[in-house]
Amino acid sequence: MNRLKIYIFICLLAILGSCSKDQPENVDNIPGLGGDTWEPGPIDFWIRDSLTTPFNITAKYKWDQGELEFNRTLVPPKEEKIIPVLSAIKKVWIDNYVAVAGDLFMKRYSPKFFVLVGSASYNPDGTITLGTAEGGRRILLYVLNDFRIRGMSDYVPQDSLNVKEMFHTIEHEFGHILHQTVLYTPDFKRISVGMYTSNWNNVSDAEARADGFVTAYAMAAPDEDFVEMISMMLTEGKGGFDVIVNSITGTSPNGITAEEAKNRLRQKETIVVNYFKDTWNIDFYNLQARTRASIVQLIR
Amino acid sequence: MRNTLIFFILALLIFSGCSKDDDSVFDQAPDVRINEAIAKADTALKGAAYGWNARIVTSTGSIFQFHFRFNEGNRVSMYADIDTTTAGTARESSYRLKALQQPALIFDTYSYLHILSDPDAVVNGGEYGEGLKGDFEYSIDTVAADSILLTGRFNNTRVTLYKATQADAGAWQNGEWRNALSFQYMSRILEYFKRLPVNGTTYEIHFNQLARSITFLWTDGAGAMHSFTSAYYYDSKGLVLARPLNNGNAGINTISSNGWDATNGVMRVSVNDDLPATISGATKPVKPDLDAPTRWWQTVYQQDSYWVSLEGFHVNGVDDAFHVRSIPGFAFLLFWPAFGSQAGVTYDLQGYVSQAQGGLSLDFGSAWMPPLFTTDGRIIFRIYGTLGDVPVAATTAFNNTNTVLADANGFYLVQTGNSRYDMVSARDARSWITWER
Repeated sequence: MNRLKIYIFICLLAILGSCSKDQPENVDNIPGLGGDTWEPGPIDFWIRDSLTTPFNITAKYKWDQGELEFNRTLVPPKEEKIIPVLSAIKKVWIDNYVAVAGDLFMKRYSPKFFVLVGSASYNPDGTITLGTAEGGRRILLYVLNDFRIRGMSDYVPQDSLNVKEMFHTIEHEFGHILHQTVLYTPDFKRISVGMYTSNWNNVSDAEARADGFVTAYAMAAPDEDFVEMISMMLTEGKGGFDVIVNSITGTSPNGITAEEAKNRLRQKETIVVNYFKDTWNIDFYNLQARTRASIVQLIR
Repeated sequence: MRNTLIFFILALLIFSGCSKDDDSVFDQAPDVRINEAIAKADTALKGAAYGWNARIVTSTGSIFQFHFRFNEGNRVSMYADIDTTTAGTARESSYRLKALQQPALIFDTYSYLHILSDPDAVVNGGEYGEGLKGDFEYSIDTVAADSILLTGRFNNTRVTLYKATQADAGAWQNGEWRNALSFQYMSRILEYFKRLPVNGTTYEIHFNQLARSITFLWTDGAGAMHSFTSAYYYDSKGLVLARPLNNGNAGINTISSNGWDATNGVMRVSVNDDLPATISGATKPVKPDLDAPTRWWQTVYQQDSYWVSLEGFHVNGVDDAFHVRSIPGFAFLLFWPAFGSQAGVTYDLQGYVSQAQGGLSLDFGSAWMPPLFTTDGRIIFRIYGTLGDVPVAATTAFNNTNTVLADANGFYLVQTGNSRYDMVSARDARSWITWER
């Protein structure tokens, strides 16, 4: 019996040992395999030390057409803008979430890849795109070359719009990641049921608010509504959000009274706040106050 | 049947007789060859001790001269003849070589080169969304000992790199190019209209510094209007017309700057190297465009739309002289013909638009009676009233703008693009505002 086992073992050895050991031929040094490389400079070190090592987040600031739309004229960012933008993102978005939810939360859920573009993306309809995101992983930020914050020599008040819009994009996309991980209560979808429309881009923010939406884009779908609420409440702060709610007057063409519109926005606010508390154990108003304070530091 | 069979066997024989040899016609695999090509290009780029002179021709035909020096660590420093800053101060940015469909040279962070591609018209005076149609991603066509040929991958910009000599590099570093670009002195002429008399003809000239084009307007003996536009480029002496101006016997090939004559307030130039001439300001066009004011007003009136000015008035050589851009939240000025009516008067609105929570808002402005159109091509505005509440921070800008606009001499309108007009004060041509849509 034992002998048989040994025979089989030797046999196996012989069979396997006779396998061809040829190395595959014609495998060359394929250029660009594993991504582009260059000699790292100060910006690369900053990204590595401040974002990649602590949070596994990276940012591509060198031009790569493959990351972008081919039918747009775009330019890469100025090198001197990259660290100011990324450190603003770190201060406003990462640091505040870390402060209220802990850094494990941030490491686990943050989008991992930022692509930075110098100019805006000009759309054929005359609008410009300031930021896009996909799959909760990749965020494209445009108009870096116009990024100016308080303290820069050529800062003018209207630059604050660019700054706020940038954080609006980031908070919006991060909101998607959160609700895609744990969905909010279905009650949220019932508040504005029947009013979601693909025609949102023909609606102004003011008209959307009269219908009980915080922005026009919030009318696109319940998910967008939810994350627009998060994003607007965080970037505008509690005071700014109250101003938005209280600015609603009159009855909308869809027959929503100002009272009802305000009521709907407040219901949505409550659900968002409870969602952060129950699901992520985050005090939303604390996060809101911190986020708004960081933004104000950059723009006032 | 038998024939078919024979043919079939024959065909089989012939095809099976084909050579099975599948050796590459090249002696190396594609990856090896592309790595070689990239290494060769990189060595060549870095190998020029004094860098490279580059002649860049964009797809729109504008010609620019650059100077590149490629260094270790994927760094490139450059000069460019775009303006006196880019010609006088070197800027460093990064580049890399990449195997795309062809070996490609990519300038991968913002540099002077990207000014030509920037889709923001404020940067380069091009069109919004496309800029001046430059490129910063190039495929490397040929690499020779002292020249390299590149083609833009997006807009087909043609670039020829020539190995620079020490003198070439010096011309940039010592500011010779900056001086050649000293057509900046043109901005010391405060009038909008600039005239250059040569050989008995007075040319009105319009420079477009960034699109690299110059337009000559003149009237012939019979009073007919002529216009000639050419691209131009710089050499280290001055400006060269890509297409010479031919006007009968007298032509213009080059204009070089001989400096600013402070006593007479004119710019001294040499035409065609040896003919001294002066460029001076003028208060009116050589021949006003008589229909322009009505055309300007009617175009937007018919669409119930408005003209936009991002900067407000330019006065006595100062852009945005009244600091409208410093009004808190300022977005743009607008002019809206027949905006509304009151007491039987249909008034035009010159409004101030600001960025508000979540959108733009038109908060205040001045109302103007229907404008007068004169037979000599001017438009005259008469104030009617104030709309809305003018915030304290905007009062000075508001009042100053109204004062200029209400000037009884009125304005000439000069069409500078499809939907772009310059409105120039007819009093002294030292105030103007650009309206666009």
